[in-house]
Amino acid sequence: MQRSTPGDVAYAWIIGLLAGLGILILIGPVLVVIATSFTTSQTLKFPPPGLSLRWYGELFDTARSAQIHTAALNSLWVAGLATAIGGVLAVFAALAISRVARPSARVLEASFLSPLVLPTLSYGLAALMFFSVLGIRPSLNLLIAGHLVVIAPFVFRTTLASLSQLDPALLEASANLGASRLYGFRRITLPLIAPGIAAGCFLAFISSMDNVPVSLFLSTARTAMLPIRMWGMMETTLDVRIAAIAGVLILATLILMIVMDRLTGLTRRMSG
Amino acid sequence: MAVVAQAIAPAGGDKVDWRLAAPLGLTYLAFFAAPFAILLGISFYADAEQTRLGLDSWTKFYGDAFYRKVIFDTLKLGVFAVLATTLLAYPLALVFRASGPRVQRLLIFIILMPLLTSVVIRTFAWIVILAREGVLNQTLMGLGLTATPLNLLQTELGLVIALTQIEMPLMLLPLLTIMNQMDQNLVDASRALGASKWRTFFRVILPLTLPGWIAGATLVFASATTAFISQSVIGGARLVYLPSLIWQQSMVVYNWPFAAVASLTLLFTVLAGIMALGWLGRFARTS
Amino acid sequence: MTQMNRRDLLAGAGALGLASLLPLRASASGSLTAAIYPGTWEEAYRGVVAPALKKNAGVDVAFDALFAVDQVAKVRAARGVPPFDCFVLDPGPAAAAQAAGLFEPIDASKLTNAAKIPTGLIKSHGVTCNAQVVGIAYNPKKFATPPKGWADLFKSPYVERLGLTGFQTTFGTVSIIEMAKVFGGSATNVEPVFAELKKAVSKAAAVAAPAAMPGLFQQGQIDIMYTNTNTVATLKGRGVDIEFIKPETGAITFQTTLHIVKGADNVANAYKYIDTAISSEVQAALQKQPYNMVPINTDVKLVETLDIKSLDELAKMVTHDWTVINPQRAAWIERFNKEITK
Repeated sequence: MQRSTPGDVAYAWIIGLLAGLGILILIGPVLVVIATSFTTSQTLKFPPPGLSLRWYGELFDTARSAQIHTAALNSLWVAGLATAIGGVLAVFAALAISRVARPSARVLEASFLSPLVLPTLSYGLAALMFFSVLGIRPSLNLLIAGHLVVIAPFVFRTTLASLSQLDPALLEASANLGASRLYGFRRITLPLIAPGIAAGCFLAFISSMDNVPVSLFLSTARTAMLPIRMWGMMETTLDVRIAAIAGVLILATLILMIVMDRLTGLTRRMSG
Repeated sequence: MAVVAQAIAPAGGDKVDWRLAAPLGLTYLAFFAAPFAILLGISFYADAEQTRLGLDSWTKFYGDAFYRKVIFDTLKLGVFAVLATTLLAYPLALVFRASGPRVQRLLIFIILMPLLTSVVIRTFAWIVILAREGVLNQTLMGLGLTATPLNLLQTELGLVIALTQIEMPLMLLPLLTIMNQMDQNLVDASRALGASKWRTFFRVILPLTLPGWIAGATLVFASATTAFISQSVIGGARLVYLPSLIWQQSMVVYNWPFAAVASLTLLFTVLAGIMALGWLGRFARTS
Repeated sequence: MTQMNRRDLLAGAGALGLASLLPLRASASGSLTAAIYPGTWEEAYRGVVAPALKKNAGVDVAFDALFAVDQVAKVRAARGVPPFDCFVLDPGPAAAAQAAGLFEPIDASKLTNAAKIPTGLIKSHGVTCNAQVVGIAYNPKKFATPPKGWADLFKSPYVERLGLTGFQTTFGTVSIIEMAKVFGGSATNVEPVFAELKKAVSKAAAVAAPAAMPGLFQQGQIDIMYTNTNTVATLKGRGVDIEFIKPETGAITFQTTLHIVKGADNVANAYKYIDTAISSEVQAALQKQPYNMVPINTDVKLVETLDIKSLDELAKMVTHDWTVINPQRAAWIERFNKEITK
């Protein structure tokens, strides 16, 4: 064991302090929003002068918050269908190129993952212009198509990762025993890659619920989406209901996260 | 279903199964590649009414110092976000590496939690924190550090602080992965040879974890430069970046050719950033 | 792209099963989409006009929150596939939209309430739905003495707490023109105010979209702004410390009009919507807290909470000639946007 030099002590302190600041900055805002959502006040003053469920009451009031409810339902509908359709397509695509070393497979992989790094804001505008040139009116179906493209890569990536960890010997064994390919897929491959698919679908769903760049251009008064509605509220009234929406969404995410962690080991997956 | 049945079990297949790749491939062609082609096409209209073809939209955009400054500011914002997240993410990753499995799980949870919380909500949280009567000003005034509340909203500093939190999980996840895979023997060897902790960090840990940092920096850069909601709500009207310019030109002024030029410029800006980071990675590996 | 190609492409999109996967949610017979100003107007029309329309005519209305300039731009960009059925516009954008042929002509015989509207307020292509009054709003708890006129906005202690917004809205445009006049300019020369704005931008508490102003005021980010009486009344109704004052040079007034968009899907419902908006029942409700909109229906008795005593007062306020303003406005908007970011 070496003696600690002053430099080493400073290192430990600086690293510790910065890490502490990092944790504070990561988790602090979430806690602040939750605390604010229980305020009695009209304003976002912190700390809240008193605690109440007033803003949750307003949020769940079907008459006063009808717009928010419609937007939330639209978002759930679009996220659900985009994840379902995109998920199936992405799993097929992952099966198609898994374990293939050819350049064509690499090109396909890069193409299928490209929406993750390309600015989706540019894509949102491009999609708006595309549908407008075709003369298709804005609708929830267009939003599903737009979301599908930007969230399919999540499922594609996790499925591909699961497939690469499969032991090919298992499949060969089942084939040698005379099982049909579909039977082998259903009884062996699918159960083994299911957690990967589920984790990908979870990320895809969350990402669609949260999508701004595509919805910004494709949603209209009739097809309002939750994040866009919230942005509108932030730009205009800034009322405390936004904090209440945040509280509900954080709770829902937390529950989903814990469920997903149990089912698929999400936290293990994310840390590689 | 029969096609699927035949194709579906890839028992170490050595060819791309085009029947399975086609559905997503064609969807991408129709709903991803085609829109970008249209975007490029529209950028070559000379006027907002889209009656004349010409390069006018391109020359107006790149000929005007104001718009060139918008590009520069957008790049600058991306770089600041990468620097700020790096400064906090590395120490956190080092602590993560030194922790036991239970603390590691907790840390992963703390990192994932904000990532899975809507960007709109995280932006809203920063309004509450940075506002005139918000958390930060109340704390600073309580500590007697300032007599009058500071204006933090609508400043570049406020925006960078907010983006640091919003983008940090994207930097941390790849960094944690590579930290956990790093060979402890190399770190121990460096220490055993008498290198200080600082020297060990800069000479051993940093080079070994660079690929993870590059992956994280790529994601942070791409995300921070296109963070429309955070930029518009926290930045306000005084700070103009490419995304708000695209929004204004397309959905407020309806000058689609000009918006298309701005949009493609954002695409090039992000791609240039990604390529620069990739180049940095290759350079670091060879030297 | 030829028609044939376009149809092929559509068929291709359909074959992918994405465009045709779900039955399109066709707009039901009893509905329309109407553009509305964000903020007070949206709250008022959602809260009063929409329920009345549902009750009287069984028609559902969806609102698209857009400022006047944005409405006109959106309909122009849609090229014959209007994104909504009804405009709500101020005089400037209304004149521009009429010149561009974006309105259906109005047939007054289809409005049951037409007789109760003063002559001249139902025009060939639009129906007046209320009047707006614009001036200065400030927080009385934050300033020892209230500001007196437009020039005060650029002086300490007001400028440090000022919320600035540009030419995108009518209230912003006319306010800035009045400021220009105070500094020696006119409706054709706003140059003097740009010099002042340039100095004020770095000092001002916030520079933001017009729609953001009420929220910023309520949260204490700004304590002084230029706005209309409706917004002031709405904030007051929420318990915000705010007072409206008429500047020394006079408050500004203009009329707001409803129009049917050329080629609208739901023309019959649009008439029902306009008829409901000008009915005495709705107009009487709209003048009360928290909306405070100045009525134009002659059956309505003015309530005391309005910042005016009688409709005659409006005649004495400052008005503007939009045929002079319109040609310059696009350049002003661009100039303002560039000026504030430097």
